Amino acid sequence: MSDPSASPSCCHSDGMAASADGMERELARELTQLRRKVSVAVVLTALVMLSSLPHMLGVHSLPFLPAWFTSPWTQLILTTPVLFWCGRGFFTGAASAFRQHGADMNTLVAAGTGIAWLTSLFSTVFPQLLIAEGLPADVYYETTAVILTMVLLGNLLEARARGQTSEAIRRLLQLQPPTARVMRDGHAVQIPVSQVVVGDLVQVRPGEKLPTDGVVREGSSWVEESMLTGEPTPVAKAAGDAVIGASMNRSGSFTFRVSRVGGDTVLAQIVELVRQAQSSRTRVQRVADQVVSWFAPVVIALAIAAFVIWFLVSGNPVLAMLFLVSVLVIACPCALGLATPTSIMVASGKGAENGLIFRSAEALETAGKLRTIVLDKTGTLTRGQPEVTQFERLSGGVVPADSLLALTAALESRSEHPLAEAIVAYATRQLNPGDLPAVAGFEAVAGRGVQGVIAGQQVLVGTPRWFPELGIDTAALQPLVERLEALACSVAAVVVDGRIEACFGVADPLKASSEAAVAALRRLGLQVVMLSGDARRTAEVVAAQVGIERVIAEVRPADKSSVIRKLQEQGEGLVAMVGDGINDAPALAQADVGIAMGTGTDVAIAASDITLISGNLAGVPAAIELSRHTMANIRQNLFFAFAYNVAGIPIAAGVLFPLTGWLLSPMIAGGAMAFSSVSVVSNALRLRNFRPTPLPVAAS
Amino acid sequence: MTHLFAADLVKAEPLWRAIEQPMALKALVAIVGVALIAWELWWFLGRHGGGVVARESEAGVQEITITVDGGYAPSRIRVKAGQPMRLAFHRIDPSGCVAQVIFPDFHKTLDLPLDATTSLELPPTEAGTYPFHCGMNMVRGVLEVE
Repeated sequence: MSDPSASPSCCHSDGMAASADGMERELARELTQLRRKVSVAVVLTALVMLSSLPHMLGVHSLPFLPAWFTSPWTQLILTTPVLFWCGRGFFTGAASAFRQHGADMNTLVAAGTGIAWLTSLFSTVFPQLLIAEGLPADVYYETTAVILTMVLLGNLLEARARGQTSEAIRRLLQLQPPTARVMRDGHAVQIPVSQVVVGDLVQVRPGEKLPTDGVVREGSSWVEESMLTGEPTPVAKAAGDAVIGASMNRSGSFTFRVSRVGGDTVLAQIVELVRQAQSSRTRVQRVADQVVSWFAPVVIALAIAAFVIWFLVSGNPVLAMLFLVSVLVIACPCALGLATPTSIMVASGKGAENGLIFRSAEALETAGKLRTIVLDKTGTLTRGQPEVTQFERLSGGVVPADSLLALTAALESRSEHPLAEAIVAYATRQLNPGDLPAVAGFEAVAGRGVQGVIAGQQVLVGTPRWFPELGIDTAALQPLVERLEALACSVAAVVVDGRIEACFGVADPLKASSEAAVAALRRLGLQVVMLSGDARRTAEVVAAQVGIERVIAEVRPADKSSVIRKLQEQGEGLVAMVGDGINDAPALAQADVGIAMGTGTDVAIAASDITLISGNLAGVPAAIELSRHTMANIRQNLFFAFAYNVAGIPIAAGVLFPLTGWLLSPMIAGGAMAFSSVSVVSNALRLRNFRPTPLPVAAS
Repeated sequence: MTHLFAADLVKAEPLWRAIEQPMALKALVAIVGVALIAWELWWFLGRHGGGVVARESEAGVQEITITVDGGYAPSRIRVKAGQPMRLAFHRIDPSGCVAQVIFPDFHKTLDLPLDATTSLELPPTEAGTYPFHCGMNMVRGVLEVE
């Protein structure tokens, strides 16, 4: 089947919070109503049971119970409201489903209790007919009342538990503060967040939550984004940095310009993605769905068959009726229907709490089955921004370090080479802020470097290969170059007036979390592969630093997806690709699971199956762990639900009766049914306790 | 609850004893039972009607209103492939189960307030059958795109 969800969405995502609010109110109303019905049902049922006590104990009467109280007519009066007021929903639900050719939970409960009540009514009104047949004129009001009360109680517990499955989304929605302090006509005014528009200037004081997304204009602070990204450490923010709504400002104060509001904010997008994932279904659920749609009609057929067979065997219509009722009320299609969706609900919410956004239930299902994981080097294992990691003076150098850096920065600031940017950034960080000296006769030599004259000195910055061509002696440089290259650095040397003064080693540094994350992935039993466009030697050095043995180097960006396809064809199992989500989009799409590293400010990279909002690689093993936990939970639920019905229905039908004399009372059957769906939901709620295994290095 | 397990009750209560029934009555119960099973399976699982075709608005959007009352009426909706559609759900059933309708293939959940009509717009879609169901997966319908 095609996946139409890939088409642009056009659903009403505005007022999402409002509609979630509405659902909340509805759930609260449902709970209040259920509670009232359960209370009434419990009281009346207790009275009915007391009234039928003599009969249950097999005695004629009990001294403390008057005869009128134990009469079947009293029981009829007590039971009828339980059935038709407390249990009204089952009958109306069954009736309207019936008109739509549907049969569900309500049908089974209504049919089971209705038949027991009608039978009892018959023996209350016409006891002599039964007695003439040699049968006791027994009534089963207490059975009817107990079943209904149990099922109602089960519904109540289940509704409460269901409310908790969507807790994560509710918590996310509550993160946004209701008001913002916005500059209007030069004054700061407090206004509701819904009135904030793009371009507004918003003031944030220490300890406040950010109302929406934006870019810092002035001031600086540390901001805690953990509730959105799962990153435990606060992030430094200064002018020009992007900030996200719902994050928590720590100590500083700042003003930011609003860049996104309403449904465009990161928070709103996360909520929407989580909701989408919760609306999708796993492959395993498709099977359960098929079963559920056949379930109730088949159970009704089995119940009728049980009645016919027991009537033929025993000739006892009352006995046959009890088997019929037991089969109807023990069967629980709800447990089957709830088995996967509740686990998916809880797990995708739990993922969001940890900064792991699953795009669909299928992504959640597949992630745990991965065998091979391909990590893009640049931007995934490394920060993706080259930095000067080594600055080495040569022994024969005469220019002081400060002047040398100033000369280099002055020259390199005119260059457009990516390495130059890193060198300028490094040099200006080391120097006091000030104007760089003027450069005369600037010239860039392609593939070699740059040269110019500064304050009368001839300065060259470039690759070591360049200098022998100019007749400069590089003997002293050579061992340094080899050492730096072994560290996966690109080397640029500085020559002043024909003498090599120093050299820079520029590398794309590893993220702090990379090594621990790779180790964690291997512990989870995955084969880790590094994919890189770099030269084989550089790539292998980086791979060795993080503990990856298998490297696919010198891959052009356009070929990344064919590399993934080749791995899939080689039978490496399910293959995941982890990349930055923008350049790697085709490879992410080709992989069985595409995992995009977010930047914390842009979750729009929804083309991937999983988005790690924090950009921390530790999220990958965490996502796989969560997936494995979730699938184990779903398997438990499905196993329980299937096993319960497969074992319960035959027992209720009396299969064991000829062998052991065991017969399930309809009351026990009703109780078992009520609690089977509660158990499934409770088991799914256990996923709320999921914590990813912490890695030795958490901060990046 | 003395009749939890019947071993002792077989002796204690006359209910559990066998009764001789005339052959004709047994035959009648068997025939009625089998007929009831056949009818019930046909009613719940058989195909009823060919589904309702969505009407087309002037803007080229296919529209249909679905009443939510114990089930979806209609529950089989036929639409044309490659054209956008708008499904309006009118919910009159107070049961909490039907408060949500989920289209798993579209990754869409729609909350349905009681006694109100809520619309879901879906993009043009390829031919195929796309099931939808309530929040608890018990009430179901199907969108047939052809």
